[in-house]
Amino acid sequence: MSKKIRLLYMEGVSPLRSQTVYHAVGYAMKADTPNTIIMVSPNGPYVSIGYHQDIQKEVDLEYCAQHNLPVYRREVGGGAVFLDNGQLFTQWIFHKEDLPATLEERFKLYIDPLVATYQELGINANLRPINDVHVNGKKIGGTGAAQMGIAEILVGSLMYTFDKKTMSQVLKVPSEKMRDKIFESLEAYMTTMTEQLGSTPDRAMVKDLYMKKVSEALGMDVYEGEWTAEEEAMAQEIDARFTSDEWLYQKGQLHQQGVKIHQDVHIVEAAFKAQGGLIRIIARLREGRIDDITFSGDFTLLPVFALGALEQSLRGVAATPETLKSKIEEAYYRLAIQSPGVTPADFTTAIMNAVTPPQPV
Amino acid sequence: MIYYACDIPEYLYYDIERDVWIHFDGDIATLGMTDVAQTRCGKFAAISFRNVGKRVAQGKTLATVESAKWVGPFPAPFSCEIVETNENGFAKDILLANKEPYTDGWLVKVRPTDLENEREHLVTGAEAAEKYKERIKELKVNCLRCID
Repeated sequence: MSKKIRLLYMEGVSPLRSQTVYHAVGYAMKADTPNTIIMVSPNGPYVSIGYHQDIQKEVDLEYCAQHNLPVYRREVGGGAVFLDNGQLFTQWIFHKEDLPATLEERFKLYIDPLVATYQELGINANLRPINDVHVNGKKIGGTGAAQMGIAEILVGSLMYTFDKKTMSQVLKVPSEKMRDKIFESLEAYMTTMTEQLGSTPDRAMVKDLYMKKVSEALGMDVYEGEWTAEEEAMAQEIDARFTSDEWLYQKGQLHQQGVKIHQDVHIVEAAFKAQGGLIRIIARLREGRIDDITFSGDFTLLPVFALGALEQSLRGVAATPETLKSKIEEAYYRLAIQSPGVTPADFTTAIMNAVTPPQPV
Repeated sequence: MIYYACDIPEYLYYDIERDVWIHFDGDIATLGMTDVAQTRCGKFAAISFRNVGKRVAQGKTLATVESAKWVGPFPAPFSCEIVETNENGFAKDILLANKEPYTDGWLVKVRPTDLENEREHLVTGAEAAEKYKERIKELKVNCLRCID
């Protein structure tokens, strides 16, 4: 086992290269290739989609075209994300025998130096198992894992800044209300170094600090190494694939429930046609409870103030049919709600359709 | 054999390094992920298959699996041609391999193209059980299955 880790430091590469470099090192890896960490950031903004996502279903391609945002499909899973120079990606390309066998332990090993870096900067970051980094309940970057050739890959980032507004714009969502809710939730549940510290820390200092923390966590030296000709050739091959329509538009069948903000927080949306009209809901779920909920639709509900009060009464309630129905019935009684053709059971069904969408028959 | 909750049926063949089980039936082999492999991978979120008719070299990818936390290949234990995939099964229930890895959760059926030269590493019966015990201990895996 190599006791030294090669670092490739690549600030300011093209958006495409910021994705293809780790794929290239992975696919070019041979038995004698050193374990490698790439620290890379793009010189412009772009959107990265997960391996099995369907770009046409997940990304607002019109918005991306209007704003000159390229979109690239990565060979790592998960959802679409807006990326720019505000993140320094930390990509590990390791031999599998040099990493723990279980994903839980692997993520811990990967996340520990990120957390230690943040902590030394004065940010109260912690591992939120299995693979998030949180600061007081807010996420400061996610991580992912993949196997490419003989290499095991772990990816994540050090988050200087994150453009939450643009993040909420690049996603294809069923309504503008849903988009607003996503932005609100990103504001509430994501954070950055700049937000935490009040200013952006010096990038060279953060890089050196991270290298030191990696070296301490792994008990190995980290040296700044060279990108090889073989890796460049592989990167060019992957550049070509990643920019081909065939790759980008391949039909993915990853079905995700709503939009994940972080491990514990999801935004979900659904509609249910009750006898008295259509009920639409947008809800933010936090650890299985309603964190926030908005009802809309073409039903009638009186008195007029009752809809807001009903929404308010559901905050913090466990997202299970029994609990929801009982809470809604209680609000109906307390507020003397009249809703012709719409019952507490209908509201419950609308919410549960978002929480656990009906399965296709 | 069940060891640390991992089921390793002794009637199957295994490529232990790649964590693939194989059931031979005439010139066709059905392949799937072992209990150990599906546990390590975690709950499937998506799977994409290479096309039927595709010839795949030993060790290369027959399908790509995405779980909640990881993406990786389902590798060919020997060179082969893909004759059928379980795409329809996984379209109905993405957790098939997490629930029943050795039956409904099979991934692909293949026709081996050079089995004589590429079967030496395959093990079955008591030998497979013994080797898997070692592997399970080494990996420190406790197997988990999804239930309905």
